[in-house]
Amino acid sequence: MGVNYITDKVKAVIGAESEPVEACHAVEPSEVRRFHHATMDPARRYWDAEWAKQSRYGGPVAPPAFPVHAFRRPPDAPDPLDQTGDPGFDGRNRRMRPGLPPVEVPLVRLLNAGYDYEFFRYARHGERLFVKSRFKDIYQRDGKSGTMVFVVIEDLYSNERGESLLKMTNTLILR
Amino acid sequence: MKAPVFEDVVVGQEIPVVVKGPMTTAHVMRWSAAMENWHRIHYDWRFATEHDKLPDVLVNGSWKQHTLVQLLTDWVGETGWLWKISFQFRGMNVPGDTLTAWGRVVKTETRGPYGVVDLEVGLKNQKGDEGTPGTASVVLPRRNGPAVPYPFDPGALGLATA
Repeated sequence: MGVNYITDKVKAVIGAESEPVEACHAVEPSEVRRFHHATMDPARRYWDAEWAKQSRYGGPVAPPAFPVHAFRRPPDAPDPLDQTGDPGFDGRNRRMRPGLPPVEVPLVRLLNAGYDYEFFRYARHGERLFVKSRFKDIYQRDGKSGTMVFVVIEDLYSNERGESLLKMTNTLILR
Repeated sequence: MKAPVFEDVVVGQEIPVVVKGPMTTAHVMRWSAAMENWHRIHYDWRFATEHDKLPDVLVNGSWKQHTLVQLLTDWVGETGWLWKISFQFRGMNVPGDTLTAWGRVVKTETRGPYGVVDLEVGLKNQKGDEGTPGTASVVLPRRNGPAVPYPFDPGALGLATA
């Protein structure tokens, strides 16, 4: 048995739930375009306004998991690249979700272990996005490369009318 | 591609694959920049290989997931619905990899005028190594039946949500 990373301070944040946090801007067509260009998914529901108007969506939409990536740095927030002078800075924000407290575990590497999604509707272009997050669990396991801490986060994404877009469970590994 | 109806689907069936690649550092950079993801393992080769001891810069897991999502949204078309998908990032993918998203039907079940289809899914590289194993459930219309209602409400269809 190695180090115990699941201290009382870490235990205290398990179950912590955020208030709904709003993305700093609404779903922008150009951001959707860059997204589907980068994923190389040309489905017309993401860009063809004429077609989409007649479709079940009523207008162009963003890809199913787009809201997960839509919570950008607000215009007046600190620049994450200010830290890149530090050769050990990996460019990732340890603040795992905007509305949740930090998980104070002194492990430097952060890996994304996987996602579990449930989809209800696409976000429409122009819609405002909200997320409510919760630390579902935090635990440690001993692996080949040492002790790893698993952080399981549940996120519920919705639009400005309170309609659920998707539910996601994300497992992050600190090691 | 014609959208499938439930009666067309049999257990063991492979759905049409989605192939991307070969991936290059430009593809990885394009995604990272579009997402404003500043994690250095995706664009800083020296950091990735020397600091994090990786074989190369890595294709983002966040990018890979969308190829799996597209596999199913392409297949079910505009009359079905991708309800659930779950996957684990087990293997690393690097520039030079060609990635094939695949799916195989493991279970089919009717639910009123609709059908629920469970699949195994994954994302293999050109050597056949599976790096992103997962499972998915989609809802399809039945032959001559109504399209799956949109927005999708699993409760209204008597389906238990996760």
